[in-house]
Amino acid sequence: MKVSYYPGCTLKTRAKNLEDSALAAFKALGIEYQELDRWNCCGAVFSLADDDLIHMVAPVRDLVRAKQLGAGTMVTLCSMCYNTLARANELMKHEEVKRKTINDFMNEEPDYFGEVEVVHFLSYLKNQIGWGALKSKVQSPLGGLKIAPYYGCTLLRPKDVAIDHPDSPTLFREFVETLGGEVIEFPSSTVCCGSYQALGNPEAALKVSFDILSDAVSRGADALVLTCPLCDYNLGRRQDDMLRKYEGAKDVPVLYFTQLLAIALGLSQEVCRFELNRSSTARLLKSRNLLAGVKA
Amino acid sequence: MSTDAQEVTAGVEAKLIPIYVMGKRYDVPDSLTIMKAIEYAGYKYIRGCGCRGGVCGACATVFRKPGDYKIYTGLACQTVVEPEMYLTQIPFYPANRAVYDFGSLTGRPEEIFALYPELFRCVACNACTKVCPMDVEVLDYISAVKRGDIEAAARISFDCIQCGLCASRCFAEMPQYHIGQLARRLWGAYLTPKAEHLKTMVANIQAGRFSDGLSGLKAMSQDTLKKTYQDREMEPATGGEDWTPKDRQYL
Amino acid sequence: MPYTEELKRLIKVVESTRAERVERKRHNQEVPFLSLDERKEMLRYHPDVKEEGRRELRVGPSKGYRIAHEMADVLEAKCRVNPEAIDLSHVDCETDVLIIGGGGAGTSAALLAEQNGARVMIATKLRHGDANTMMAEGGIQAATKGHKDSPYYHYLDVMGGGHFKNVPELVETLVNEAPDVIKWLEGLGCNFSKSEDGTLKTIHGGGTCRKRMHFAADITGAEMMRTIRDEARNRKGVITVIEFSPAVELILNEHGHCAGAVLYNLETEEYLVVKAKSVVMATGGCGRLHIQGFMTTNHYGATADGIVLGYRAGVKICFLHTVQYHPTGIVFPEQAEGILITEKFRGSGANLVNIDGQQFVNEREPRDVEASSIIKECIVRAKGIPTPTGKLGIWLDSPMIDMLSGEGTVEREFPGKFILYKRFDIDISKEPMLIYPTLHYQNGGLEYDSNCRTSVPGLFVAGEVGGGVHGENRLMGNSLLDIMVFGRIAGKSAAQYAKESYRDGKLTLEHASKYNSEVEASGVDQGRVAPMILPDYTDARIREKQLTAHYVGTLR
Repeated sequence: MKVSYYPGCTLKTRAKNLEDSALAAFKALGIEYQELDRWNCCGAVFSLADDDLIHMVAPVRDLVRAKQLGAGTMVTLCSMCYNTLARANELMKHEEVKRKTINDFMNEEPDYFGEVEVVHFLSYLKNQIGWGALKSKVQSPLGGLKIAPYYGCTLLRPKDVAIDHPDSPTLFREFVETLGGEVIEFPSSTVCCGSYQALGNPEAALKVSFDILSDAVSRGADALVLTCPLCDYNLGRRQDDMLRKYEGAKDVPVLYFTQLLAIALGLSQEVCRFELNRSSTARLLKSRNLLAGVKA
Repeated sequence: MSTDAQEVTAGVEAKLIPIYVMGKRYDVPDSLTIMKAIEYAGYKYIRGCGCRGGVCGACATVFRKPGDYKIYTGLACQTVVEPEMYLTQIPFYPANRAVYDFGSLTGRPEEIFALYPELFRCVACNACTKVCPMDVEVLDYISAVKRGDIEAAARISFDCIQCGLCASRCFAEMPQYHIGQLARRLWGAYLTPKAEHLKTMVANIQAGRFSDGLSGLKAMSQDTLKKTYQDREMEPATGGEDWTPKDRQYL
Repeated sequence: MPYTEELKRLIKVVESTRAERVERKRHNQEVPFLSLDERKEMLRYHPDVKEEGRRELRVGPSKGYRIAHEMADVLEAKCRVNPEAIDLSHVDCETDVLIIGGGGAGTSAALLAEQNGARVMIATKLRHGDANTMMAEGGIQAATKGHKDSPYYHYLDVMGGGHFKNVPELVETLVNEAPDVIKWLEGLGCNFSKSEDGTLKTIHGGGTCRKRMHFAADITGAEMMRTIRDEARNRKGVITVIEFSPAVELILNEHGHCAGAVLYNLETEEYLVVKAKSVVMATGGCGRLHIQGFMTTNHYGATADGIVLGYRAGVKICFLHTVQYHPTGIVFPEQAEGILITEKFRGSGANLVNIDGQQFVNEREPRDVEASSIIKECIVRAKGIPTPTGKLGIWLDSPMIDMLSGEGTVEREFPGKFILYKRFDIDISKEPMLIYPTLHYQNGGLEYDSNCRTSVPGLFVAGEVGGGVHGENRLMGNSLLDIMVFGRIAGKSAAQYAKESYRDGKLTLEHASKYNSEVEASGVDQGRVAPMILPDYTDARIREKQLTAHYVGTLR
C-alpha cells in the first residue's frame, strides 16, 4: 500500500535524524512511500483565530499536493506538522463556508474537500502495520532500557485530531513495549514543552522543560523519547542551559521515536544520525550494548 | 531607420484594437506586442524597456481584461496585445537586498535565514508564483530555501529574470528574487564540486606552459598561419568528453 | 501565433528528411566545411561587402575610413549639448574610476577596480545590467580541458574566425586569461552547467576546433551578468551605480588626459559633471542603429554612444567596416522578430534546412560564412521559406536535438527559448524554427591595447565598444569572454592609473567644441547630433505630430 510522505522543513535540516531513521524504517517495514514532489512549510502552527483563513492556505496547499499525487494517506513524522495539517484537513472536511473561501482564494489549485487522510507515523504503525507484525521484525529488542515516552501537546490535542485518548494515551507505551523497552510512565508526558515560548520567553520555556525532564528522571527514566523537533529543541538542545542554571540538573539522553525504531529493527547506525542528538544519547545506547546489534 | 512596429505592420492591413495604457485608450494593430504597441501609440521608453528579448526583466507588465477579476502579467516585449486590455508596466519596485561578504559564506541554509529572516513570514499564499511572467514556481523555491534545500532553490529559480513582480505582490513583504539569487550563488560557489581541470589549466598557463606555442603563432607569416589553421584537427561533433587529438604538441 | 497552415505544410517537407539527416549527424557525415577560398567566395553575399551600404568618414581621427552609413551618421554629428553651456567649474560628483556602461564589461571592470583600491562610479544609460551581456545565450569560450585543448588552439580559432586580421596581442591576452575568468566566475557562484564531478560541460561553437564553449543552460550571459551585478551590489559604498544617466561627452583636462564625463539624467534632463581620475568606456555595441535596415538582437540601448564619445576625444576606430549578423534570428512569429536563437542549437545538432528539406551548409562555420550562406540560399538560390508577411527564412531543425540526445533535451537545455515559443503555441522540440540573419555584433570599435589603454591617457576601453580582438568577425562565445577578460583588465589598469599616473588639471571640453567646428567645416549634414542615446520606434504618423519632441536628436 502506497502512501505519500510529508517531511516538514526542519526534518530536512536540524532534524535529519528524525527523517533518516524514519525513511530507513519505512523501507525495512516495506512501506511504499513517495515524498510530495512539491511542498511548502505546513504553516508551523495552527492558527486559532476564527477568521484567520490565510494561515490555512499553507497546510491546505500541501494537502492538495498530496491529493494530486493520488495517495489517499499522507504520513507525517513531526507532530507539529501533523497537528497543523490534520486540523486544516478537518476544517476542509467539515466547515463548508470556510472551505469555499479557501478554495476560491486558491483558484489556481483544484478544489479540496478533505479527501486526504493525514496520519502520524505512530498511528500508522499501530493501525496499518500492527504491533504484532512490528514485533516480528524487531531484531535488537531494547531490553532493559527505561524509556519515558513524551507526547507533548500536538499529538493529543485537540480531541478531533488526537492520535489517542487525550488524557490517558497508551499508544506510545505500546510502541515502546513492542520494541522491547521498559516504559516509565510520568505525569508530565503530555505537558507542553514550552513550544515557541523558546523564542519569546526562553526562560519560561526552559523552566517548563526542566520540570518535564526532572519528572521523568525522578521516576527512573534512562532516556526520553519524542516525536517533534521543537520539543527536541526545548528538551534536548537546551539542556546545556539547564545544566548551567539549575542545580542538580542531569544530562538526559533524548531521542526520536524513529531512532528507537531503527535501532530495534537492527538498522545501520548511520541512518540514526546520533551526532544530531545530545552526546549522552549514543553513550547510553552504547553502554547498554544497544548499538552492538546494529549493522555497522 | 527601420522601426520595429512598422516592420510588423508593413505589408498587411493591420486590424486596430483598443487597449488602455494606464487607463488611457489607444488603438493599436492587433499583432503587436505590448511594447511595440505602446511605442506605436507614440510613447518613448526610458524606463520599462531593456533587452526587448524576454530576459532582462525591465518590462514587467500587469493587466486586466474586461469582466474578469484576475490579475494577468507578462513581459511587454513578449506579450501580444488583446482587445480592451487595461495595463500598466511596473518598471521598478523597491525590494530589500541584504548586503553580504560572499567570500565569508559557506553555503549553509542558516546563512540565508540570517540575511533574509522575512522568509519565515511566508504563508504560502502563492501570489508570487501566480504573478511570475516567467512561470517560475516562486513559492516552491522559497519553500525549498526554508527547508534548507539550496540545490532545489537554485534549480527552480534559475529562469528568474528579477523583474520584481513577485516582491510587489508578496503578502510577507519578501524580496524573493534576491533570495533566489543568493541561493544560486551559494549553490554554484560552495555546494557543487569545483572543476579540477580548470584549476590545472589556470596553473599551467601561469607556469608559462603555452607561451612558446603562442609566441610561435604570433610570429608566423599570414600564409603559414592560415595553413596551420586549415590543418588543425577538429574534435568530432558527437564525440565524448574523453576524445583526445593526435597532435599533442601544444597541449 | 502558431505556424500557419502553409508553413505547417512546409514543415512536413522538413520532417520527411529528418530521420536521414539525424543518421548522418550520428555518423559524423557532415556537409564538409568550406575551404578558406570557398569561404571567401561565400562572403560575397555578406552585407559588409555591399559598397553602397557605406561611405568615407569626413571628420575625426579616422577620416577617410569607409564604414556603414548608419555608423557614419552618428560620428559625423555635432555634440548633443553645446560644450560651452556646461559649467566645468562646478563638479557634481568626484570619483577615482568612472565606468561608463553597466553591462558585463563595465561591471567586471568595477569589481576589479574596487579590488585594486579605487572608489568606483558606474554611470549607465538604462538599469544596471541592461546590456547585450544579459542576452548572450550560447556560452563563453575558454580552453579549460588540458587533455585536448589549450590557448594555442583557441588562438588559432579566433584568428581564423577574424580572417587573420585580429590584433595578435589582444588575441593572446584573450585566450590566456580565459580559463582564469571562468574560475573567477565559478568562485562568485555563477551556475555553469557541470557534470556531477564538477567537470564543466562544453560544446562546439561555429569555427571552433575543440569543444570549449561553457554555458549556463541557454541563459549564459544572463547568469553571468546577474552574478557579477549581485556581487557589485555587495561592494556598497565603494561601487556606486547611477542608472538612467548616459554619458554624452568625455571630459579631458589641460594635460589632454581623460578626466571624467558629462552625464545626462534622462529623467530630470540635467547635465551633470563627473570628475574622475580615470575613465573606462564600456558602452557596448550598435545594433539599434539598424545597419542596412537589418533587424537586431541587441538591447534597447545599443546605440554606439561610446564610439562617438571616444572618437571625439581623439581615439581612432578600427574594424568598424564589418558588422556581425547572427545567422539565426527569429523571423517568425513576427512578435519575436530579431530575437537571437543561440548557436548552441546548431552546436547541439540542429541542421539548417531549406524549403526542400535539404541541409545546405555545415552548421558550424564561422558566423559570417553561415549568415552569408543563409542569405545566398534565400536570395540567390530562392530556396527560402516565405513568411506570411512576405519575408524569407530558413528552418533551424531543433527537433533533431531530442532525437540525437534524448527526449526532453530541448526543453531542458533551452528553457528560455522553449518558453518563448510555447507562448506562441509552437513546440520547438517537435517543430523547427524559422530564422534569418539578424544584426548582432559590432566587430570593431575604439582602438586599445592589451592593457585596455587608448591613445588618450586615462581613458580605457573594454568590451564590444573596442575593436581589434575579433578582427573582422567574432566567433560565438568570445564576446562574453571578451567583456570579462578586458573588463577585468580595464578595471585594474584604470585603478592603477588613478593611483600612480593621474595628474590633476583644469577640466575642459575643448575637444568637443573643436569636433563641432570640424563637423561644421566638413560639409556633412548639419542636422545630426550624437550620441543617439535611445532609438525612436514611434509610428511615423504620430511622430509628425510630435512637433517639439525631436529638436535635439531623438530625445528632446
